[in-house]
Amino acid sequence: MRGPNRRRDGVGTACGVVAGLVAAAFLTVTGVLAVKAWSVLDFAFLFDPSSRMADRTGIGPALAGTLWLAVLTAAFAFPVGVGTAVYLEEYASRGGAAAVVGKVAAHLAAVPPVVYGVAGLALFVRGLGMGPSLLAGGCTLAALALPTVIVTARTAIRAVPRGLREAAYGMGATRWQVVRGQVLPAAASGIVTGSCAGLTRAVGEAAPLLVLGAVSFMTFAPRSPADPLTSLPTQVFAWSARSQQDFAAAAAGAGVALLLVLLVVNLVALAVRRRLRGVST
Amino acid sequence: MKAAGLSLKRRAPRGPGDRLARPVFLSCAVVTAAALVAVVGVLGVETVRFFGTVSPGRFLTEAAWTPFAEEPRFGVLPLLAATAQITVGAAVFAVPAGLMTAVYMEHYAGVRTERVLAGVTTMLAAVPTVILGYVALTFVTPVILRTLWPGTEAFNAMSACLAVGLMILPTVIVFTRSALRSVPRALMEAGLALGAGRGRVVARVLVPAALPGIVAAVFLATARAAGETMIVTLAAGNQTQLAWSPLEGLRTLTAFIAQSSLGDAPSGTVRYGAFFAVSAVLVAVTWGLHATGSFLISRTRAGDAG
Repeated sequence: MRGPNRRRDGVGTACGVVAGLVAAAFLTVTGVLAVKAWSVLDFAFLFDPSSRMADRTGIGPALAGTLWLAVLTAAFAFPVGVGTAVYLEEYASRGGAAAVVGKVAAHLAAVPPVVYGVAGLALFVRGLGMGPSLLAGGCTLAALALPTVIVTARTAIRAVPRGLREAAYGMGATRWQVVRGQVLPAAASGIVTGSCAGLTRAVGEAAPLLVLGAVSFMTFAPRSPADPLTSLPTQVFAWSARSQQDFAAAAAGAGVALLLVLLVVNLVALAVRRRLRGVST
Repeated sequence: MKAAGLSLKRRAPRGPGDRLARPVFLSCAVVTAAALVAVVGVLGVETVRFFGTVSPGRFLTEAAWTPFAEEPRFGVLPLLAATAQITVGAAVFAVPAGLMTAVYMEHYAGVRTERVLAGVTTMLAAVPTVILGYVALTFVTPVILRTLWPGTEAFNAMSACLAVGLMILPTVIVFTRSALRSVPRALMEAGLALGAGRGRVVARVLVPAALPGIVAAVFLATARAAGETMIVTLAAGNQTQLAWSPLEGLRTLTAFIAQSSLGDAPSGTVRYGAFFAVSAVLVAVTWGLHATGSFLISRTRAGDAG
């Protein structure tokens, strides 16, 4: 109901005040984090290993762990998720087993993250003998992100106009040519957005990694997926729980670093989307 | 025409891409299916095994949850009650605030204000919950709550409810906005034409018309609140606390899973199974809320089409 007739009234004023409070609450969260982190944030903090002394500890291992987890999660969840979405939308016949997989995946998007940790402990840490490693963490986060990636990729693929497909088929294109030449380019922007949302949520999760057995004290930065599981979110948690013992600032610093990592992930997705748009038009 | 269609289907694939595409995409779907089956299966199997030792009746009726005690008791009710308390508490903050913010964005805000608020909503949704938990523990409790009520304990349900409320706000706002947008424009115009003020039309016509969608938003948001772990673990739960008593504050289903170092429980023990049983209850609760919300949304969309 846009238009010139946008007079204020009691309801509008009340709603405006509440909207302002919501924005203020968000600013408070980021502001509190920034203020508390101010004293620790420097280059040494970003690269130093953990220390028992609050003023000498760093997030080197946790930062490296989160970067490993982001790469592993993306490497597992993106191809499998997008591939599944393409199969369900373009290849599978309606109904049958494929439809069940699609429905179950949609429902699993609502399962709380901590539950993935419990399942991941039984499946990856113990079942497949990965131990509490970055690899087990990456597999668990990939399972967590997979439903989101599938659901959003399917939505993006479904939004591609039918006419585009039919025109290509009409010109004699094979199914693969239609998928590669028409459907995927047209849906790419939506697929990237959705995959990025899934990755952002997974990388920011602490609960499942905590259940898998993440460590919060490491003297070296992990160099391979077989190294012990450590990450920024679990580091924030561990230091927050010790906030009485001067670790509050370190926890906030790790939190700021986590937000920056998520920002970078989103900026990369934005750049990819810009490029895709440039190519397809 | 028919012959042409048949020949199209019979044509031999043209290149390696054509031959490989279907099996590659199919194998992706198979990997997904295997992952889904594995996740659901392992939860199911371990839960069933747990109920082989602890009867479901005791699990659902006993009033104490002390899985690590000498004589362990496995009553899930205290955990469930705490989860309900946090969920309802969060909704009490988030539903009115989200509804009013959505109304403001849809019907009052200028284009720029609306864009700013939409940006805030998106960014708020991207904040990891462990950060909200940190702010609840180190700012909301000591600075806000202690000022209002000096006797507030370090771990309290109130700060958790506020932080979880903030976490689910984007969900409430996004789905409420789409519910408000689906109300036909003519309703608003008819109301204004009859001489009612904008505020009156919004409160008496638009919000009631959008109510099914708003209720769906509440269900979807509470599904997330019930499954939230890090905020309640940091702000409402005492980390080392192993015995549950009503006086020691509150421990939700999720906080129990996150707090007790599950990694130390040997596979196959009752203690280990307890985590799966609690997870199963959690999944049942969140799935119920989420499925109700999804059903309501699909019904309102179907209503629009018809």
